[in-house]
Amino acid sequence: MTDASKGLGVGASLRRKEDARFLAGQGRYVGDIVRPGLLEVAFLRSPVAHARLAGVTKPPGSESSVFTIEDLPEVRTIRANSALPGFRVSEQPVLARGKVRHVGEAIAACVAASRAAAEDLAAACGLDYEALPAIADMTTAHLPGAPLLHEDWPVNAFLEIRRTDDVSGLDAIAAAKVTRTLRTARQCMAPLEGRGVLAEWDPRLEQLIVTTSTQMPHVIRSGLADCLGLDEGQVRIVSPDVGGGFGYKGILLPEEIVCAALAMRLGRPVRWLEDRFEQLSASANCREHHYVITAWADRAGKLLGVACEAIVDAGAYSSYPFGACLEAAQVGSILPGPYVLPLLSCHTVAACTSKPPILPYRGVARTGVCYAMETTLDALARKLGITAQAIRLANLVPPQAMPYRNLVGKVFDSGDYPEALRRAVAAIDVDRIRARQAAGEAVGFGLATFCEQGAHGTSVYHAWGIPFVPGFEQAHVRLSPDGVLEVRVGVHSHGQGMETSLAQVAHQILGIHPDKVRVVLGDTALTPYSTGTWGSRAAVMAGGAVAEACRQLADRIAVIGAALLQVSRADVTVEEGRVRRRGAEGSVGIADVARTWYRAPQNLPPGVDRGGLEITAGYRPDPDTGTHSYACHAVVARVDLETGAVVLEDYVVVEDGGTLINPLIVDGQVLGGLAQGIGTALYEEMPYDGDGQPLAATLADYLLPGTTEVPDVRLEHMATPSPWTSFGQKGIGESGAIGPPAAIVNAINDALAGLGAEVTDLPASPSRVLAAIEAARRRRP
Amino acid sequence: MKRIAIALTVNGKAVEVVAEPREHLADLLRGTLMLTGTHIGCEHGVCGACTVEIDGVPQRSCIVHAGSCDGASVRTIEGFADDAVVAALRESFSREHALQCGYCTPGMLVVARDIVLRLPDADEARVREELAGNLCRCTGYRGIVRAVLGVLADRRAGSSRAEPR
Ligand code: FES
Ligand code: FES
Repeated sequence: MTDASKGLGVGASLRRKEDARFLAGQGRYVGDIVRPGLLEVAFLRSPVAHARLAGVTKPPGSESSVFTIEDLPEVRTIRANSALPGFRVSEQPVLARGKVRHVGEAIAACVAASRAAAEDLAAACGLDYEALPAIADMTTAHLPGAPLLHEDWPVNAFLEIRRTDDVSGLDAIAAAKVTRTLRTARQCMAPLEGRGVLAEWDPRLEQLIVTTSTQMPHVIRSGLADCLGLDEGQVRIVSPDVGGGFGYKGILLPEEIVCAALAMRLGRPVRWLEDRFEQLSASANCREHHYVITAWADRAGKLLGVACEAIVDAGAYSSYPFGACLEAAQVGSILPGPYVLPLLSCHTVAACTSKPPILPYRGVARTGVCYAMETTLDALARKLGITAQAIRLANLVPPQAMPYRNLVGKVFDSGDYPEALRRAVAAIDVDRIRARQAAGEAVGFGLATFCEQGAHGTSVYHAWGIPFVPGFEQAHVRLSPDGVLEVRVGVHSHGQGMETSLAQVAHQILGIHPDKVRVVLGDTALTPYSTGTWGSRAAVMAGGAVAEACRQLADRIAVIGAALLQVSRADVTVEEGRVRRRGAEGSVGIADVARTWYRAPQNLPPGVDRGGLEITAGYRPDPDTGTHSYACHAVVARVDLETGAVVLEDYVVVEDGGTLINPLIVDGQVLGGLAQGIGTALYEEMPYDGDGQPLAATLADYLLPGTTEVPDVRLEHMATPSPWTSFGQKGIGESGAIGPPAAIVNAINDALAGLGAEVTDLPASPSRVLAAIEAARRRRP
Repeated sequence: MKRIAIALTVNGKAVEVVAEPREHLADLLRGTLMLTGTHIGCEHGVCGACTVEIDGVPQRSCIVHAGSCDGASVRTIEGFADDAVVAALRESFSREHALQCGYCTPGMLVVARDIVLRLPDADEARVREELAGNLCRCTGYRGIVRAVLGVLADRRAGSSRAEPR
């Protein structure tokens, strides 16, 4: 590679190809697409958390425009099973049948020429129900005697998971032991664009075409076909521009199925666009965990063991495809974090409550588990009288141990975890913070170290038992007759800039200018199967697949190019978009090779590969246990003791994502995740009352961080390649959202240490900070 | 449902439409007028995604009744093709990676242009304060703030060069 071509390939901070259309306001999201004869849907939704449904009264004359589950007998329930032993699978009707199990559950679909008219129809429906007691508190939901949400279950729990190491001897030998009770809030992922679906039946193709704002078109295709009793050939899923995903759009929606069924029934295009009220009230569906965690350490801070009782509020149903237990099943396996931990005892319950079904939000279980582990570590350090850095350095997996298999069997691929910590601490003047504290200022320093398993493959997900298991990721590459490279992949982009990163990968192999590489995403008719974009997998999996496909294509190009140069295959290489003679003058462009294959085949060499200039190749890293990016977050926070408000004075991230395909884009992923993590730490909360009613109905109640809440973060990269991926890249898309609650609350608790106060529950809102201070005052007046 | 006639100017062109009294401007722009660059993120005036210019001032089109725009001049993201400030902002937004999914971007650009023209001396704190009414769920804002500051700095450098010393 010459310097000029490195400037566009792997490692280049190329500006994004997709920017121009978004900057012009020309992005195409579901809500921008209309069809002649379009019908809009508004859903009549449950006003209560738990009730027996007696019936829906349709407004007079609307019998054929209001649909309940009785009107859709052909539609099957959504079932997202799991192979985890003891898992209870729920039957989720696409419209409520017999019962409602959370506020906002869809009961009837109301169809009209405009959304406003459809909403009028929904408002005119009568709803007859007999309220049942809500199951709103995960800590009591699964106890015997609680009212049952799914009446054929013995308890309100999807699953209980246990790992039992014997920690009974640790009290006798530990220098310090701490126990903390911690809680994270229920959140809304809140992409700026809501969900949206446009379903239509194409009578010529005899095919259902569903344009939907999703991260995983191929998985939705399978799930939709299954629920509607169609074969998959009869279903095409198109995902256009997606206005943010973060996990919120990694689900088969009841609304998708209903719109599809109605489009087939009515012979008209049918669209539903989620509004913000629906999103907040019917889909607060992530993050809510409860921990009672105990940790033991020796005098130097070395961990001797951890014991944890965890509860995850998994909501009312098991969502397709990830199910209700992706978080609960991972709590125990993530708890060891980036540390050498000798003993772990962990019991986790996936509680079933009358709330919206849980979905994996960016960071998934890691954000809560990292919060539990890192705040507990700081409590241990305070008890031992050592620093937050010292206790971490005493326990982090050392670089010479890589690759390292921890006690739960996770394999860390590469990196220098202690170095990330040292760099983050060095970036902050800790002495000055100590001096300010000594002068009486409520300012604190907080750390979080963690790693993020990403792009884990077949072996991992098979063991977790999700309904589909990712296998070889495929990419299709094809030269057009004029030498443009089309790259088709089944992952999707919802802001991650895949059109650019994957063009850079192709450029790295073939040297074709990224402007001449077209990346096609988001359409099951145009792309090879993929489980989609989630789990920080796209850069590793799709990146690897595109590289592999381009390598194979390069070989076919070389054969034809060599013939045109009248030399043998062994005497040429493909670089900078040309086939070049090795060590001699003479080259032909890839465009000439393409022209020869398509338009001047008389010049092809005998025995040329009849597959032509298109290749589908599959890729999976070996081993496929996933990459581990890691990071240290270091925060300086100031607490206003009068109001409880927290100001982030400084925020440093030292991050290792291995080889970065496009550093500009990776920075954006880290910073964007970080803003979401700051929301988790300080602002975002969907409170539910005892009746299971969500209490934040607008973005003025559910607080998303804005420009004045997110500081100008300092970001440093280390770049330890993963030994297992095509360019050494690691999955890093979720990392930013994992560390902030831990680091920020540790900084708050450092600031409050002099008062003996500790925040334990998220978000660390002003009222929680004040309550912590008040509780400490009561303890030692 | 009753409908009312509205005559207004949109992106420099006179248009006459009819709308329900309850229709908000964002729906009118996106629906009847097919200007889908104006995005809807909340429909209750908090997120800023729907920001357009009404009579030269940025406003949230989701909380403006279409009917109240009779006689008004509205400019949407589609109407800034010839605007030098927006051109500079587009360039700096791309350079600073100030957009990911692009959903907040049109509203951000309308507000950013207003900041650049109204507050030529704004510093970072002021820019952050002025942008506080526009939510972005993707970028973490650093790129957006830097992009606006970059255009402000370029314009200050440009005008000081233009002034004789
Ligand atoms: S859509 Fe208008 S402010 Fe959010
Ligand atoms: S770029 Fe997605 S909301 Fe701002």
